[in-house]
Amino acid sequence: MGIAAAIVFLFFAAAGSLMAGQDAAGETEKPVCLDCHRQPNINTNEGVQSSKAFCNDCHAKPDCRRTVDGKDVPLQVSAETFNDNPHQYVACIHCHTDVARSPHRTAIGGQCRDCHTVHGEGTAHAPHLRIDCQACHFKHKFVRLDETDNRVKLALMNTDQQPIGLVDHGLDDAGNEQSCRRCHQPHNTVGAPVSVLPAKSLLCVVCHPSSLGVGHPIFWVALITFLGGIFLMVRFWFIGSVQGEEKSLHRKISLSSDAVWQTIFSKKVLTVLRVVVLDIILQRRILKNSVQRWSLHSLIFLAILIRFALSLLTGLMFSIDPDGRLALVLIDKNNPVTAFTYDFLGLCIFLGVLWAVIQRLVVKPAHVKTEIEDNITLGILGLLVILGFIAEAARILMTQLPAEVAVYAFVGYPLSEVLAFMPVDWRSAYPYLWYAHAIMGAVFVAYLPFGKLKHIFNVPLTHVLEEVSGIKKEQRI
Amino acid sequence: MAERPYRQNIKIRFSVLHRFLHLVVMIGFTGLAVTGLSLGFSSTAPARAFIWLVGGSANAGWLHRFFAVITYSCVVVHAFWFLYYKMVLSGKLTGPLSIAPSVKDLKDFIQNLGYFLGRREEPPRFDKFTYMEKLDYWALFIGMNTMGITGLVLWFPEFFTRFLPGFFVNIAQVLHFFEAILAVAVKFFIHIGLAHFRPAVYPADTSIFTGRTSQEKIMVDHPGEWSVISESDDSSGERASSVSVRAS
Repeated sequence: MGIAAAIVFLFFAAAGSLMAGQDAAGETEKPVCLDCHRQPNINTNEGVQSSKAFCNDCHAKPDCRRTVDGKDVPLQVSAETFNDNPHQYVACIHCHTDVARSPHRTAIGGQCRDCHTVHGEGTAHAPHLRIDCQACHFKHKFVRLDETDNRVKLALMNTDQQPIGLVDHGLDDAGNEQSCRRCHQPHNTVGAPVSVLPAKSLLCVVCHPSSLGVGHPIFWVALITFLGGIFLMVRFWFIGSVQGEEKSLHRKISLSSDAVWQTIFSKKVLTVLRVVVLDIILQRRILKNSVQRWSLHSLIFLAILIRFALSLLTGLMFSIDPDGRLALVLIDKNNPVTAFTYDFLGLCIFLGVLWAVIQRLVVKPAHVKTEIEDNITLGILGLLVILGFIAEAARILMTQLPAEVAVYAFVGYPLSEVLAFMPVDWRSAYPYLWYAHAIMGAVFVAYLPFGKLKHIFNVPLTHVLEEVSGIKKEQRI
Repeated sequence: MAERPYRQNIKIRFSVLHRFLHLVVMIGFTGLAVTGLSLGFSSTAPARAFIWLVGGSANAGWLHRFFAVITYSCVVVHAFWFLYYKMVLSGKLTGPLSIAPSVKDLKDFIQNLGYFLGRREEPPRFDKFTYMEKLDYWALFIGMNTMGITGLVLWFPEFFTRFLPGFFVNIAQVLHFFEAILAVAVKFFIHIGLAHFRPAVYPADTSIFTGRTSQEKIMVDHPGEWSVISESDDSSGERASSVSVRAS
């Protein structure tokens, strides 16, 4: 590690020559103590310039080189790569925090996250948490998977096993899809899917932390269908007139919004809160009806609700402090807590769907009337979860996640062990699995206002309206 | 709504949208004032206490922009409401129910001075909005736009100096600062004084929050409005300003 790190930052040999008092041009200029032993204030322009000038004493010169394994590595940092660079007014030691000392070598490399924060889902997906910033943002073409810490980094060797000097500080346009192909191509060695996948869309927020954008066209279709369905549903509520007028939409909106306002700013808001907590979240009315039906329904409903709440929490925590510990835990799929929680909740949904299928197709109790809509709904949910678990297992295989990290995904990891027996290149298969799961998710969202799942809008509203307007229990729907 | 017995004949003065916008602007404006003044007078003790509370000047700046966005989005929603009012409801922009300034406001002002000085027996016959309320409204509506423009220049100086000379940023800073003081003075003293501390409604006029006012109040405070809505009371179901609520 020490040697590798020294190659990366290439200061050692240069410092050595300075200490010997022989500078590159052969001039005899003896270093005085304060050349090195001083602390320029790198928060000022003067400090930055004097600090950089000291580094450039060696690193600007063409003979600043180093020999690694008998191979010559250039250590010259050219001014050109810095002149058109956002970092041109930043001191070297601002990022290379551990090189200004003896021995002149680095253990941690350049530090980006002292100033910059990690990406959210919109800019790069959560799996990119294990990628070094430089691997995407620098112009170097060669990347590698470091098996000691399971991180993707800039490679120190090119494909011909020749060492590379990482002296080019020029930044790449990481927003350009072409730069993603550094990893996202067939036969990559870092465990990336062979194609560049879109970011998770806003629609995915039902179950996953996601970006604020809509993204891929399939999500646009689903979103427009969803909004259209909601519009039709709400329009239906406002059909009909208040007192037999011709046009009463405005009046209906006035009256209903006034009723809502009067309820919110009165003691009745407590009634609404009680209904929301007891009847809507905790499903008291179903529990009174039958414990079995409550259990079945809660397995699906509460699991989705908790996943939705977790996604919202992730977005909130990330927007407050992207580098906060909680935000980093929540966006990291491989974090033990996150992996376990999401797998557990996914399993709950799956078991709930399975139970419902058995009830409807095998047990067939008298009170359960199965229509085609029920079967479609259960089919979508079940497929969605199964595809999700398969995609997760493929991701674990593809990214070569070590067992001790992956094991917390207690459904995905065993499944990945099973999938490992299949002679499939998961880097190629993963995009298909991802799209299959994404399309299923899009179908789920688009279907919400049309099929049986419409009840997630209607039933809570009915509960609240019945309670607020004081309809007696025996008259309730 | 059902169990509250209305003793008086209740009229709706502000629609839910207007109540909502007032509430959000009230919160947003107060937030802007607190964060902005703390940044503008950062050396004073209350400012230092506030900045400490929110965890630094960067956070106060973030909050200031957050409140700016929610406040200005109310202006945008209000503009859409105006289009809806004009296009869909075919509402009138002038007349006794309008917020637009008119010559009558000037007459009202002179007559009101006369009333205050004892030269007149009665206050002027105000319309739905008195000249004081119109002043309040337009001060805020114009002020939010000018504060919004100068604030945007300060928020995105790199963008604006692509086509504006650099000293526009300095001008924006000066205007933003002094207009902020003006706006805070107008809203916290003149608006609250005129709207809530008048003897007739002291300690607060709740109609902007509940949307409701009584027929008696309209007849006394806004006789010009009353003369309009009392004629068309039965046929004006579509007009939000005069939807009457059944007292039950």
